[in-house]
Amino acid sequence: MTETAIELIGVTKRFGSFTAVDDLSLRVERGEIFGLLGPNGSGKTTIINMISGLSRPSSGGVRVLGIDLLADPRRIRRSLGTVPQENALYEELTAEANLRFHADLFDVPRQGLDERITSLLELAQLEERRKSRVSTFSGGMKRRLALVRALLHDPELLYFDEPALGVDVQSRRALWDRILELKERGTTVLITTNYLEEANVLCDRLGIIDRGRLVALDSPSNLRRSFGDTVLEMRTRPAPAEDIVRKVRALPGVVSAIASGDSLKVTVEGGAAVTGKVVTAVVESTSLEEIQSREPSLDEVFLGLTGKELRE
Amino acid sequence: MSLRHDLRVVRAVAAADIRLALREPLFVIIGVVIPINFLLLFLLFAISGGQAPIAVVMNDRGPLAERFVQGMDNSHSFVIHTASSADAEREIRAGSIVAVVTVPQDFDAALNARTRVDIPVEVNNLNVDFTNDIRRAVPLSITSFYADAFPEQVVVRALEADVQQHDTGYIPYLAVSIVVAGLMLASLLQGSVNAARDYELGTIKELALAPVSRLAIGLGKMLGSAALTVASALLVLGVVILLIGVHPLHPLEVLGFGLLMIAAFLALGVLAGTLVRRRQQAIPLAIASVLPLFFLSGPFGPATWLGAIPGAIAAVSPLTYAIAAFQHAFHGYQTATQDLTVDTMVLAGFALGAVALTALVYGRRGVSH
Repeated sequence: MTETAIELIGVTKRFGSFTAVDDLSLRVERGEIFGLLGPNGSGKTTIINMISGLSRPSSGGVRVLGIDLLADPRRIRRSLGTVPQENALYEELTAEANLRFHADLFDVPRQGLDERITSLLELAQLEERRKSRVSTFSGGMKRRLALVRALLHDPELLYFDEPALGVDVQSRRALWDRILELKERGTTVLITTNYLEEANVLCDRLGIIDRGRLVALDSPSNLRRSFGDTVLEMRTRPAPAEDIVRKVRALPGVVSAIASGDSLKVTVEGGAAVTGKVVTAVVESTSLEEIQSREPSLDEVFLGLTGKELRE
Repeated sequence: MSLRHDLRVVRAVAAADIRLALREPLFVIIGVVIPINFLLLFLLFAISGGQAPIAVVMNDRGPLAERFVQGMDNSHSFVIHTASSADAEREIRAGSIVAVVTVPQDFDAALNARTRVDIPVEVNNLNVDFTNDIRRAVPLSITSFYADAFPEQVVVRALEADVQQHDTGYIPYLAVSIVVAGLMLASLLQGSVNAARDYELGTIKELALAPVSRLAIGLGKMLGSAALTVASALLVLGVVILLIGVHPLHPLEVLGFGLLMIAAFLALGVLAGTLVRRRQQAIPLAIASVLPLFFLSGPFGPATWLGAIPGAIAAVSPLTYAIAAFQHAFHGYQTATQDLTVDTMVLAGFALGAVALTALVYGRRGVSH
């Protein structure tokens, strides 16, 4: 059995003259939770479409669980569980009818099916609503049911699109717990999310896609560290003047310094020695009213890599 | 992948579609209301346009006068009732009849004396179609009556030789054509709505991401739609047989050709639904497809009577062959130059082609995360 769950080798996908994915190579190892991040239109949906066999690359190779996409896409789909963003549940059917329909599509053996449905519904705390129409479910219940359905055929690879989308805090936490349990059982999980806290909590590694290219690939903590190890947020009176910002930027170990109103945000690399020099430089020129020190957030890493302009 | 799995998928997709359709009010509209309305609408159109309601004022009750009125009745051009002069006048003014024909007081005496008889005909010439019917039919009735009453004086007569073994009424002929159009409409509607539903609700992903063949999904869709369409078809046939009184001479042909037609048009419906992806667009598209094809496929008479260009279109329309086959199944005669074997082959070929095309397009077309 190969140790690689997903392998993209120099994959390019074009739609006419538009290149959605540009010579992208990526490996997702078995048993890890991998997060694919990127702004709208970055190419992550196109990548997921290729991994799940809904689309073929214009060039390059895609292997999922050791199977070549072009050679046997149906075998890949058999081993892939999917929780789409919009759930794709039949709302006018009951929870159980949805699961039985999925079992038929994925040829789940009839023997033991009742027990399997019961145990998965119990795990998702939906057993009592087994005979209820899905249209009567809350957003969180639908999400949990979609996850139960994706797990019904015991997939080796689970793709979860925006796990926390449209669910309350309790449901989100329950979904995250289920995903982490899957990892413990050895299931590979691929998620796409725009909610970076979710990526931070769940993912072993993150791939950040922008304009069809992989712009960063590492663990959440390493990604944050690559963007500096400390962020200083200071409030001064009077507001920091341009010469103070320039002075701070010139200090060794300062990654960035941005002034906004009476605030100054400085990202540094080098720990306490550098932060001390930054604070000294600031208090020499102005009065420091408040200071906070923290690690860089994934949001800052993401925006730093992909920019702040809106994408459609 | 195995045949057993494919069959399991076909059954599951069909069952799911049936359950979903039965839970939607839309099913009653497209499965019952539209096909039955279609049938009744055209029959009403035929009935209202076929025979003009007229009143006859009998100022002479002699045997020749009675025979004349009987002759008019036998001409199949009028719906006749007798009335007093005052009632007839009131009716024509109210617009409830098209004409008043008055048999004069001295009708029998004048005819026996071989003198000229003028028959007053008052026409409500509001609608030229009905007016011309009256203008044609009254003189024809007079001629027919005269030739019948005084055969020695009318020496020219038509000798009719019938191609078919029996006459078929206009309504029974038309009813069969409408049944075919109704089946086509019901099939297209069910197929397209069932296919579009998955795209509209996003459930197409569940199908597209399953490790199954497109053919199995497409066949499941068609089977589910077929079960629903057969229910509509039985309803339409029930109206034609039980209410209109048109009975099939060859019921097995009705069954065979009916299933062939349903398969062909269901496949086309699934294809259309896959392409438009919205039920709101699928329904008018189905209706808009059926109406012109219906008129171009010989619903009122054999398609070969339509003329060169409409005839050429009719020759490639599967509805033409379906109507010809159904006319044989119901009335036992051939309305087209081709025989039943050709009808069967064309319909079967069309059904297979439509199923293959649908299977090719259906499933993963444009589905995305």
